[in-house]
Parts: sequence; C-alpha cells; structure tokens
Amino acid sequence: MTNSMNDIRHSRCIFMIGSNAAEAHPVSLQHILYAKEVNGAPLIVVDPRFTKLAAKATEYVRIRPGTDTAFLMGLINYIIENDWHDKEFIRTRVAGFEEMRKVAAHYTPEVVEEITGVPKDQLARVAKLLATHRPGTVIWCMGITQHHIGSSNTRACCILQLVLGNMGVSGGGTNIFRGHDNVQGATDVCVLSHSLPAYYGLKEGSWKHWCKVWGVDFEWIKGRFHSKEYVHKKGFTLARWYEGVIQEDKITQYTPIRAVVFWGCASNSQSQYHKLKKALDKLDLVVIIDPFPTTTAAMCEKDNVYLLPSTSQYETEGSVTSSSRQAQWRYKVVDPLYESKTDYEIMEEFVKRFGFADKFYKNIKKVPEDVTREIARGALTIGLCGWLPERIKKHTDNWHTFDVDTLQAKGGPCDGEYYGLPWPCWTETHPGTPILYDISKPVTKGGLPFRARFGTEYTYPDGRKESLLAAPGVANPGSEVMGGYPEFPGWKTDINVIREALKRGMAPFGNGRARCYCWNFPDPVPVHREPLHSPRPDLIKKYPTYPDKPDHYRVYTRFASEQKPELVKEFPLILITGRMVEHMGGGAETRSNKYLAELAPEMYAEVNVKVANDHGIREGDYMWIESPEGGRIKVKAKITDRVDERTIFLPFHFGGYFMGKSFAGNYPEELVPYALGEPANIVTNYGYDIITQIQGTKEGLCRIKKA
Amino acid sequence: MARMKFLCDIERCIACNGCVVACKEGHQLPVGVNRRRVVIINEGKPGERSISIACMHCSDAPCIAVCPVGAIYQREDGIVLVNKDICIGCGYCFMACPFGAPQFPRGNAFGARGAMDKCTFCAGGPAPTFSEKERRLYGQNRIAEGKVPLCAGMCSTKALLAGDSAVIADIFRERVARRGSGIAWGWSKAYKE
Repeated sequence: MTNSMNDIRHSRCIFMIGSNAAEAHPVSLQHILYAKEVNGAPLIVVDPRFTKLAAKATEYVRIRPGTDTAFLMGLINYIIENDWHDKEFIRTRVAGFEEMRKVAAHYTPEVVEEITGVPKDQLARVAKLLATHRPGTVIWCMGITQHHIGSSNTRACCILQLVLGNMGVSGGGTNIFRGHDNVQGATDVCVLSHSLPAYYGLKEGSWKHWCKVWGVDFEWIKGRFHSKEYVHKKGFTLARWYEGVIQEDKITQYTPIRAVVFWGCASNSQSQYHKLKKALDKLDLVVIIDPFPTTTAAMCEKDNVYLLPSTSQYETEGSVTSSSRQAQWRYKVVDPLYESKTDYEIMEEFVKRFGFADKFYKNIKKVPEDVTREIARGALTIGLCGWLPERIKKHTDNWHTFDVDTLQAKGGPCDGEYYGLPWPCWTETHPGTPILYDISKPVTKGGLPFRARFGTEYTYPDGRKESLLAAPGVANPGSEVMGGYPEFPGWKTDINVIREALKRGMAPFGNGRARCYCWNFPDPVPVHREPLHSPRPDLIKKYPTYPDKPDHYRVYTRFASEQKPELVKEFPLILITGRMVEHMGGGAETRSNKYLAELAPEMYAEVNVKVANDHGIREGDYMWIESPEGGRIKVKAKITDRVDERTIFLPFHFGGYFMGKSFAGNYPEELVPYALGEPANIVTNYGYDIITQIQGTKEGLCRIKKA
Repeated sequence: MARMKFLCDIERCIACNGCVVACKEGHQLPVGVNRRRVVIINEGKPGERSISIACMHCSDAPCIAVCPVGAIYQREDGIVLVNKDICIGCGYCFMACPFGAPQFPRGNAFGARGAMDKCTFCAGGPAPTFSEKERRLYGQNRIAEGKVPLCAGMCSTKALLAGDSAVIADIFRERVARRGSGIAWGWSKAYKE
C-alpha cells in the first residue's frame, strides 16, 4: 500500500478491482464509505461477481475473469486518447510513457469489449469518472494477483495511477489490501523462497549483509547448503512445493522434498489440493505448528504427522505490521493455555536441538524485543531502521493521540510522528512515511521521491534514450539537489549512508522515475494474455500465453503447452474462488468457533439460476464440480445472481472433506471443527504467474452435474 | 430521560455479521438463539441492501401488551426487558412482535436460560445489577457500565448506532445531509411522472 487505510478518506474516486473488501477487509469500508459519502467519491467496483462490495458501488463493472489487464489498458488508452492524462506528472516523474502508450493504443473500447465483456460505453464512463475525480485511489487484492498474468495485472493498475498523476498524493496511490496483520510483516521479512529479509534477494552481497547483522560467518552459512549453487538458488514456492514431492512436473533440485513444516499455514488455500494431498501421503514427515489441528492434519492418511500446539496471538507478544506499513506492538493478554507454547519457544527448542543456538541467539538475549532490534539493524532497504521496540510500544500505548485523518500525533509523547511509523522509517527519529513517493514533504518529515532503482538512463529497443531520474526542479523540499539524483552508493548496507542522505534532505535510494516500461519483465508493458484454461478459444491465437518455463522456482511450469483451446468444450464453466466474511483463510480457527460455524456452516457453490436449471439443479441440491486436473468436490448449490451465466463461485475456507468423503474421523477427539466441507482448491486449475508463480485460482474452468 | 434506540444505517451496513457474533460471544448465548440478525434483501442484484435487526425496544411494545403473565416490562429509558423468573414461554410475544425478536432456547435447562430470550440492549435484566444471576440469565450489563451495546460497539462501518435516540438522530441526520440525494435537481426529478 502506498497510502493508508485512513488516507482513503481523502479520495475523490475509489476504483476497486479484484477486491471484495466488504467481506475480506470489512473495517476498511469505514474509510471507503466515508469517502463515498463525504467527498461524493464514486465507488467503482470491477469484479466478475456482484459481491457485497459491489452492492455498495455507484458503478459496478462485471468483467470476464482473467481479462483485467485488457480492461485497465483500455482505460489507460481512453484516458490518453481524450487528453485526460497528467502531462506534467508524466514529464517529470514517469519513464517509458511513449513505449507504453503505443501498446495501450491496441486496447480500444471495442477491443476491450470483445475481450472483457465490458460494454464500451461503460469503459468510457469509468474512464471519465477517473479523469474527473482526482485524486482517486486504486485498490486491488487477490482477484488481480492470482492469475498467470498477475504481475502484469498489478503493473497495469500502477500505470493507470501514473497516467492519472495520482501517485504520491493524499487520496491517491495504489492500495493493495493485505490480510490481517501480520501478512505485510511476513512479506517484509520475506517468508518466501527467493529473498532474504527485506527484499535483499539471494546474491552474495545480500548474504554477507545479513550475516554481518546476525553476527555469523558467511562461510558457515554456506556450509549448511547442499552446494554453493543452492545458496543463491530460489527455492520452491507455497503454490508448487508439493511438486517437489510428487514430481508430476520435472523438478530441478538434487533431491525430492522429504519433509514439510506448516507453521501457521493452511494447506487448503493452495490450488490443485488433490495433488497436494498426494504429497502429504508420500512425505516422511509432516509437522504442523498451529493453535488448531488443521485441515492439513486431517488430510494425512499416513502415520507421518506431528502436531505442535502453538499459542494464539493473545497468549504471546511482539510487533506486527499492518497493510498500511505501520508497526504495532501486540501485547500478551493471557498466559498460554494448556500445553501450547509460543512460536518463540517452539523455535528455541528446534534451534537448541539442531545445535546452533549460540549463533542463532548471538544478538538475541530478550525475546521478542531483541528480534525487533535485529530486524531494525538489517532491514535498511525498506527503512525499518527506526522501528525500535520502545518506539513501537510508545505508539501503541498512545494511539489515542494520533489523528484519524492524517495519522499524525498532535502533541503527546509521539508529537509529529505518524501512527505506527509507516516504513520507510529511516532513523530512530524519523516520523515514518505515511504516503510513499510524496514529494510535497521533506524526506526527514515523511516525504519520498520515486526510487532510482534501475540506473540513470535507458535506451529503448527503438533507440530512444530516456533519463531514469526525475526532471530538474522536481525533488522534496530541502533537498540539496533540486531534481533527479541516483541512489547513494552503499545505502542498503550502511546506516551511515542513510543518515548522510537525510542530512542533505535527500532520499537514500535516489530520486528516479516510475517505469511504465519494465525491460526486465517478459512483457515490458502489460498485455492481455488469455487464461491458460480459456473459455474463449477464439482469442487464444491472438492473445496466447507465454512459452513454458522449465525452471520456475525449481519446477517445470507449463504455459503454452497447457493452453488447450478444446478444453472449454468439456469444461464449459468458469471457476473463481474467494472469501466469505464469516471465515478466514483455511478456516481452522473460524470453523472451530461455534457462532461463526452457525452463521456459515456449510460449503456451497454459487450458481446462476440459468446454469442451475440447465443442469437440473435446485437450491440446496448437492452437485459435483469437476476440474480438468481430475479434482472433484461434492457441494450444495446456492442459486444466486451474484454470478453470471458462465461462472461458478466457491468460497475457499472449508476443509475436512475430500472428494465426497468425510475426514472428520481424522481429527483428534473433541477437536473436530464445527463446520466441515470440501476445500474449493481441489477443483482450482493448473496455472501460475510467470514471475511470482502465484497460483491462478481466479481463471479456471470446470463442469458441474447434479449429485 | 434518554430514550434508547437502535438505528441501522443501510447505506453503511455491509452484512459482515460482526454485530451478531459480538452479541453471541459477549453474552455467551446458546447456538440457535439470535438476539440479533442481519437480513439481506435483493441479494446479488443491483439494489442489494442489508440491515441488522434485533428487538427495537418499541415505545408501545406489542409484546408487553400481549404477555399473559406480565413478564415483559419497559424501563424508564425505553429498554424493553423480560423477567425470566415469570416468563412461561407461551410465545404470544413471538406472535405479536413485528421483528421476530423473541427467541426460544432449545434443549435442556443447562444453558437454556429461561423460556424466552431477546436483546436486552446490553442492559442485563431484573436481577440485581452485576449479580451472577443477572449475568447467567441475561448476559452483560454494559449500560450500567456506561458503555454502548456490544453490537454497535463492534460495527465495522459504524452502520449500527445505539443509544439516546436524540443523539442517534443527530448523527444520522448529519450523515444524510452530507450524502445528499446523489442526484442534482434536474429533469429527472423535476418532471418525473
């Protein structure tokens, strides 16, 4: 999120695509509806499904799943064609506009209507709303990211905001709603396979930086790996790890995976779940660390599972990061119940038994404060340097002194600081950065230019040369250089460089331009590519997917070879998944709450009345849903106009059933969740993003029949 | 004297059921007893609206009028309560109530909490304030603690308002004025058939 939840109160237009915040982020609606009511901001909701959020929209756009980039590029093109783009912003702070414009020109209202199903008049109306209501915010969630072109979708959203000049201003920004805290925190410390904490990557310099922070020898770390190659090799991802076990797609690792640890992670949120289950039954060891015996535990039919009961968030403490990049201290409310242990204790027990406690705890004498301190010492890239436990606690303890509109404290012990010290919080005295890329404030007071991440100049394929630094005259107030400047050498590993930059009123990472043309991506400018399993075979030739990627996070990942035009004949319906407000994630916690289970006791599929009648299915009937990959689930039909005549919607929170069979008997006695059901992800399709490998759960195909 | 009322702002309610769960958790209600519920109309269609409904604490409450044993009474501040020591669970109030507020717990005495149960506006009941008996039969008494009812306190979008009707009316009036009609005074309004 470049801005904050609260800052949406200043928006004059709210554009939400691939987000059902009314169910997934209900509290955010407080700010969204405030802007709608007080500012008269139009609320534009783009979604294949008429969601509870769409019910609050002033303009609802029903879009075919998997065509977001086409729609967004269509908006961009229409805005430019009508001369509504922010020319001064583009001239001074944007790169690659001309190259992007040429690509966008393809997406005329007629072409967009053909691809997305959105009437061309509606596209024009939405574009005009965006152009005439500035600043506007663009909000998205997993409806945008979980596609094989998810990375293009997200970039198209960003380009839309650049073209409108909505970046770096209050009420604008690209605002991606993350899950409950600590989802953003987990991302920031990179609980991912391709990077060290704080987005440092896996290069030698990155390892050396963190080894210095941890106080351990890099050679020792290297020695823990299979070979030198693996020190720098991206690992498996959450979406595809099970291929490392079952190897239906070829893997590029010296050994298959033998053990897996689920630490607060729901396996039923991963696509093609029936394949993941195969892996669970093949592994030597499955460890589940969770307050609840999860669906994962019930699914294992081999005697290979260990359950380590951990505490809930109320029985432990530490810092967490919100969607708006704000830190908050979460205090312990009660002592751990029964035999559960805190995550810190469980980690400590492991570390001791593995025999490297001396190295692991070199800088950590007091948990969790010293852990927070270590993160602050190492995470220079995103400026967590100022996130000391004392400061975070001070903010939490004095939250009432902060203004709900600006997030800034007026008086009191945190005077002038922004709530939760939104990162980057460069130093121990920095107030936090409430809005990213805002050049109206000095850097020391929470301002920031665009990062000069990709050098100072670039030559495009047509020979055009362009500076990648901001135009002369454009910089934060108080900057020693009034115009673009490159990054300060060494800022990512030396806090003194950061201090020096701030002393000169400048951003450590330079003052660059935001790129519309990313030469390091397979599609430098986002273009539409038909979903792998497309309901429109006639469009595949014109908008094909990528070639297969043989080593994509250690596993062969099919693109072109998986895009079969004839598939839709057998699997004629589009399958999408999403959330319901009563349950969260894999549902281990919420389905074990009797009141939430009472409100949402059963798994179901949303079916349009026409589809239901065509298949002889009546409200409440059981039906089978089958995926091209051989997954099938038996669920009740909910007949509703939320979905259109070609789409089936499934909530993904359920577990405890598997392809028609109950696994309730596999839970420990008296710990069976109140609400059980088929995991939707048994029928979600093959398909992964070309860059991130996120699963494409919002663009599959399926077929249904009465059970 | 304040007149206690609920008001659900349907432009704000997003049917998140937070009010329902807050009520149940806070008063430890048995499953099946819904002091409050969220109703959605026109689900999935343009014009979809939702509203959170509980006992409306009517000024001229039909349940009081029909109760054959005089178990239901109204406090000075308008909150309608039931005396579970007197209630016989006949269901006359259920017939008379336009909102389906009275609830009839099932099962045995353990956890059943008397014959009829309904929203107390978080004001406990006739048993001594903050007593164990009050908590067991009626739930929390937040009004006596100077707090708003749990449902309104929990509401994620501030749609559900609860308290002195004069104050609630002010808040709602301000919101409505700020919103406007959404349509400028023009052809469509001036010459609408």
